[in-house]
Amino acid sequence: VILYIGELIMLTRRDFLRSSSLFALAPAVPLFIARTARAATADKNGHVLVVVQLDGGNDALNTVVPHADPGYEKLRPTLRVAKKDLVKLTDTLGLHPALKPLGKLLDAGHLAILPGVGYPNPNRSHFESMAIWHTARFDDEELRSYGWLGRALDPSAGTAYMVGGAVPTALRGRRSSAVALARIEDILLADPAAARHSAGPEANDDLLAFVRRQAVDAQVAADKLARLNGADGGARYPGTGLAVRLKLMARLLKADLGARVFYTAQSGYDTHANQRFTHAGLLNEFAGAVTAFFDDLQAAKLAERVTLIAFSEFGRTIKENGSAGTDHGTAGVVFVAGPGVAGGMLGSMPNLTELDRGEPKMTTDFRRVYATVLNNWLGLPTDGLGGTFEALPLFRAPA
Amino acid sequence: MAPTEHWRAYEPDAKAPWDLRRVVHLHRRAGFGATWAELQQDLKDGPEAALERLLRGSANTAAPIEFAATADTLAEAAVAAGEIGRLKAWWFYRMLFGPDPLGEKLTLLWHDHFATANAKVGDPGLMRRQNDTLRKHARGKFSDLLNASVREPALLAFLDAPANRKGHPNENLGRELMELFTLGVGHYTEADVKEAARALTGWTAHEGKFAQDPAKHDDGDKTVLGKTGKWTGADLVRLLLEQPATSERIALKLCRQFFGEKATPPEALKEFAAGLREHEIDIGWGVGVILRSKLFFTDANIRTRVLSPVEYVVGTARALGMFDPAPSTLALADWSARMGQDVFDPPNVGGWPGGRAWVHTRGLIARANFAAAVLTGPNAGRSAAYDPSLLPSQYGFGGEPAGVLTFHCRLLFGIDATDEVRQRVAGAEGRKLVAMLLSTPEGQLG
Repeated sequence: VILYIGELIMLTRRDFLRSSSLFALAPAVPLFIARTARAATADKNGHVLVVVQLDGGNDALNTVVPHADPGYEKLRPTLRVAKKDLVKLTDTLGLHPALKPLGKLLDAGHLAILPGVGYPNPNRSHFESMAIWHTARFDDEELRSYGWLGRALDPSAGTAYMVGGAVPTALRGRRSSAVALARIEDILLADPAAARHSAGPEANDDLLAFVRRQAVDAQVAADKLARLNGADGGARYPGTGLAVRLKLMARLLKADLGARVFYTAQSGYDTHANQRFTHAGLLNEFAGAVTAFFDDLQAAKLAERVTLIAFSEFGRTIKENGSAGTDHGTAGVVFVAGPGVAGGMLGSMPNLTELDRGEPKMTTDFRRVYATVLNNWLGLPTDGLGGTFEALPLFRAPA
Repeated sequence: MAPTEHWRAYEPDAKAPWDLRRVVHLHRRAGFGATWAELQQDLKDGPEAALERLLRGSANTAAPIEFAATADTLAEAAVAAGEIGRLKAWWFYRMLFGPDPLGEKLTLLWHDHFATANAKVGDPGLMRRQNDTLRKHARGKFSDLLNASVREPALLAFLDAPANRKGHPNENLGRELMELFTLGVGHYTEADVKEAARALTGWTAHEGKFAQDPAKHDDGDKTVLGKTGKWTGADLVRLLLEQPATSERIALKLCRQFFGEKATPPEALKEFAAGLREHEIDIGWGVGVILRSKLFFTDANIRTRVLSPVEYVVGTARALGMFDPAPSTLALADWSARMGQDVFDPPNVGGWPGGRAWVHTRGLIARANFAAAVLTGPNAGRSAAYDPSLLPSQYGFGGEPAGVLTFHCRLLFGIDATDEVRQRVAGAEGRKLVAMLLSTPEGQLG
């Protein structure tokens, strides 16, 4: 029982009341029941992490463009983006113009951009590199096992939500679990009135009272979702796939399901040929969706609780190929967004002339990003990362 | 084991009569719920006959004659198509129609114990093979079950056994074998895990069957749980089976399966574990002791357990007699997954958290929506809507709302509606009334 005292303090009063009847029975309640009850209730009001996986290998060099680097134009004779079109980051760097919607987050200081994030001895297979990002492991044999977020949620047997698509390895843990959710209908009540009546009054029976409280909570959540489903509360999302998924995620957050980790993906970044318009379209979909997501959360007064990170399994070859595309490269750009984030460029741009097998060397180990997010934002253990990684100044000091 | 107060056999008396409430209780716990005809039959025949049918594997006397052949065809088609969704439907078919609900329930228990997810294995054929193995040994000796289960190719793949080789140990299988399949946390050290992994080196699957690769096996001395030898995987399993912690863990597992919260005092559990050990962890014996016990039929053990999604889904369809037409078992499997129990895809190697952890927002919403869907029909793949007056009329309750309420309360809960419940459902009629009963907090317990 001692084990839980420290964690109990972090619960809100409401959570505590909800759990207290169970904890009062602690000597009689097997530990596993106490643990699951806590896992089901302790997460509310805590910091939330949203991960957006950019599938296929995002072209880093045309995402954060080093326009002042004389090498850039040579590497990208047809794909280069003109300086005048870029969203200015620094005197030498600019964001791809399709990312313009991110300007709002950038100006508010709520967007950190980390170029050159990767790992030693980069692997250029989609599958293997993605597995490395998911597991933070390099051993072939561990690439199919548990994920960095799954491991971090293991001690608390936490739950993560995958919005759209199957549960990714990143969310797999030994004791934590992940729920795949693609349809809002899964958490809307078909007959809310009937559900309200069938819940019944407070019960004396401990187990029945527990189920009833949860049932009432479920109705409140479903009610909230139903209202949100009718009207978007003024949030305007673009009609893109990623926007639809982030909108669903925002609804889940508003309905207070209690999970602290949400995950989704945007695919299509494997741009081997004629990538100019494809890549611009993808970046624009990303920027528009993320911006709308934070606007929505801001209006719902939830944004302060949320940090979003976006990553891709690798960047692309710095030199464009013969078909106006790019091939599988190495380190890439990571975006970290949210009001808690210390915005701006973080870490250095990869050097375009000091190459290793034709590609630039990474400048920031991705596990430093993970360690910082886990420890400084979620307050979760980092020992699942398989080493100690120095924190990055990613977050603002708490006010 | 000398039967003590705790494990003395149940004999009906004034305090614990053999009434409808206890018959419903028995079927909810030992099976997936029963039809009105089955309940009445058992009420008439008495506890011995009812228990005998369940334990012998013939509780569902109305199982289709061609059940086994149909089930095999469904499984083979699912495997041939490589569609895990259809394999899930196959299992729900077995649970809904099969002659042996207790056998299916135990198979589900062992699927949870040796949790293996197709999401990683990616081979419906291996998943089916494993499921058949679990079913074959479901009420046999735990040593047979364990030995067969840890050699199942699906489990070996799930726990990275093929990657575990001499000089490159992968601890996954060794750790779960100790932590989850046998001893439980606290009964071994990290050093034991490392040594266990070495003993298991070379275990792999070849062409869908268990195989040992001598070239990958580390044949040096290992010290596991204080014993040193050139242990192989088979030796390791034997060593683990000898540990009292294993029988204790299986005792706890069986008690959690069949008892509700707080229903087994620690002394009772200890006694049961000792008995299991004396009987070489004979699962069938253990289940028999539990289901025949006074403890099982006491008031304090009735409606004190949260129904798992599979129990809720199959139990609803069975109790309401939805056999012809039946809901689509594909849809039943999908509804169960929405409630949080996706068979063949448990959330992790620890299986489903179970108990109170089943009770969460998404799960409760899915349960209420399922109740409405299965009664209406189409959203549960059923070609007809449920006629709420049909059974009440047939069994003499009349088709009026009062009769519909009384019949369904007795069918689902084994008791009459209290005034409070009547108040809650006041104004609701027909299918809506039945859906409300199924969605009550009481309806989630069994």
